[in-house]
Parts: sequence; structure tokens; C-alpha cells
Amino acid sequence: MSQAKEMNCEEYRHALTAEPGFKDESRHADDCVECRGYSAGILALDADIARAMKISVPELRMPELPNVDVVSFPARRFLSRPVWFGLAATVLLAAMVGLRLMGPGMDETAGTLEEQVLAHVDHEPDALLPSSTPVTDRRLADAVPGNIATMNRDIGLITFAAFCKINGQDVPHLVVQGERGPITILLMPYEKVAAATPLNGVNIHGVILPVGDGSIAIIGDREESLEDVQQNILHSVVWGT
Amino acid sequence: MNSNEAAGNRRKRFDRLVTVFHADMFRYAAWLCRDKSIAEDVVQEALLRAWKSLDALREDAAAKQWLLTIVRRENARYFERRRLETVDIDNLTASQSALLAEVPNEELNDLREAIFELDDDYREPLVLQVLMGYSTNEIAAMMELNQGAVLTRLHRARSKLKSLTANEVNS
Repeated sequence: MSQAKEMNCEEYRHALTAEPGFKDESRHADDCVECRGYSAGILALDADIARAMKISVPELRMPELPNVDVVSFPARRFLSRPVWFGLAATVLLAAMVGLRLMGPGMDETAGTLEEQVLAHVDHEPDALLPSSTPVTDRRLADAVPGNIATMNRDIGLITFAAFCKINGQDVPHLVVQGERGPITILLMPYEKVAAATPLNGVNIHGVILPVGDGSIAIIGDREESLEDVQQNILHSVVWGT
Repeated sequence: MNSNEAAGNRRKRFDRLVTVFHADMFRYAAWLCRDKSIAEDVVQEALLRAWKSLDALREDAAAKQWLLTIVRRENARYFERRRLETVDIDNLTASQSALLAEVPNEELNDLREAIFELDDDYREPLVLQVLMGYSTNEIAAMMELNQGAVLTRLHRARSKLKSLTANEVNS
């Protein structure tokens, strides 16, 4: 027979406001008049808020939908000159950070994770060439071994896959082609971050997303919309054991 | 399956998803931008973008969150493009007013006005939780916040609503 975990007032109120449809299996409110009142107040307020928010919805106007290739990859675009200047500047920054990391008295954890990720984007210059040629399954499997992560190819057109190091740990480094050029993805199973961390470099932007006990960095051109890529990656990658 | 069949199935899938989630998309957009006309534009753009990237949606079970995320992004794009001013509740346009006074229910209209007056940072998680039914963990992922921040915003949102509606009653 399973027994529900007992809750104190703080835990009960936290759970009540954290999850819609929270079930009080510990039956804390049965014995706590204050929490019973609190709960009734919250539920009544939320019911009113929901009624107030349920505004009438106009009839659906479907926009004119363009023809879409049923199996299509993002259009290949070559980077503009300012973007190349930006990438060149990032390479320089990477070189400076690299020299710093190799300097006397500095260990390999020098620099924040964000700095290291941004510096690493240009670690493999060939990776940043626009391409429509996918990497082979074998190369992808070598770069993303099962003990680090399992993933499928639904994250997009993967044109680069390699095994790199961040903070001394093995990190699969992938590049997928986005609408504005290459998007770098670093799978970092050992780098835990508390919350999504934005990344801003010269003409590039991105984010380090918390995923389980690790994180995944996604970086693309400043104009690139990364949300679809983020969703695809979060659905496609599972850490190994 | 030939390409015509595949294209037809794709369109059917899209129509089915839109039929199911159009109301959620519109209400989310309307409470994000606080303007029914703009919300319609945002939803149009979101539908177009969803159509183009439909193949990225692997499971229909994840469609609602996927579509709402697109709405969120399109809303941000819309305001980035137009650099709209903050809404002043004493000086609303007709379509902003339409959001507040569509139902002849005094009590609900007071609450709706109080929701309208909430800061964006407080209103959005409240919409996602109370109207869309998401947990704080899911809201945190959508808004790129940690769960603690979402809980804090929800707590403050409810507190503000209580005080705003109490003020209405007192005045």
C-alpha cells in the first residue's frame, strides 16, 4: 500500500499553485483550516480568472498557405559579408580565449561556460560553411556515442558532427543548417545550468538550455530564429547512462 | 504514397490541428498583446509559420505547446517591428476596449480590466496556467525562466488581481 508524502503548509501551498488540478493526496488541508481557506480562495479566484479570460473568438481566417515540399530542408543561404566579419571577429575571440586557457597558471575551466561555448563555436571553421550535404550515420554515431546521448536525425539537416571538449569533458559538436546559415549545437551532459542562459556574440546569438543533469547549447546567426531548433532538439536528444 | 497524397495528408493534419487549437491560439495572443485586432494578425502570421514548419512537429500530442510557442514568438516579432507604445488603459483603441467589455457582466469585466492592467511578465504565466492548463515547469520551459521565477510571478499576479479587484469594489 502506498502512502502519500506528508506536507507542511508551505509545501501544500507551493504544490497548489504550481500544478493546475493539484490533488491533495496527503490530505493536508483536511487538518489545516488556514490552508483549506487558502485553497478555496485560490480555486475561486482562478475559476473567475479563467472565465474572464475566455473571451469570444472570431471565426478562423486561414491565411493563404504556400505550397510546401513535403520533404524539404531549410533553404541554403550563403552568409553576407557583415556576418563573415562577425564570424572572423568571433574566431579572433576564440583564439584569445584559447590562448588564455593554455596560459600558465590557468586551468581548463577558466572562463564561464557561456564564454567557452561562444569561443568553441568557431573551433571547427569548416563546420560553419553553409552546406546541403548531411553527415553519414556512421560519423554521427561516432560523434554522439550512446553512452553520452541518443538522438534521432529529426533535429534538421546535420552537416557536421565531431567530438570536442568543454571544461575537459567530452562534448558532441553538431551543426545543422538553419534559415540563416549554420546552427551550432553542443550536447553537454555534464554541464548543469539552473536556467536557460542566453548567449550573445558578434552577430551570433543562442542559448544554453538546461536538460536533465546536463545542458545543450544552440547558437546561430543573430537573425536566426532558434525556437524551432530548440524544440526539435529537446524532443530528439536523450542523455545516455 | 505519391507526393500529391502526401501533400493532401499534410494539409489535412494542419487543418485538424488548427481547428482544435485556434481558440487557444487566439486567446493567448489576445492576452499577450491586449488587442483583438492585433491578436488576429499575430495568429495569421503564426498559422503561416506553423504551416511552413509543420514537418518539425513530430507528435500531434505536442501540438498545443508548439503552436502557442509560435504565437508567442510572432507576438514578439509584431511588437519588434512596430515598436508599439505601452497600452494606456485610459486611452484605449476600439479593439483594445473590445477585449474588456465584450460580456455584459460587471464582476467579470472588473476582473478582466485588472488582468489587462497586469504587467506582461505577470499576465503571461497566469494565462498559461489558468487558461491553458500548464504546470509551472512547462511554463518555465516556454518562457525560458526557472520554476521559482514562474511561481513568484504567479503569486504576484494573483496578489495584484486581488488588490486591484478589491480597489474596484471599494471605489
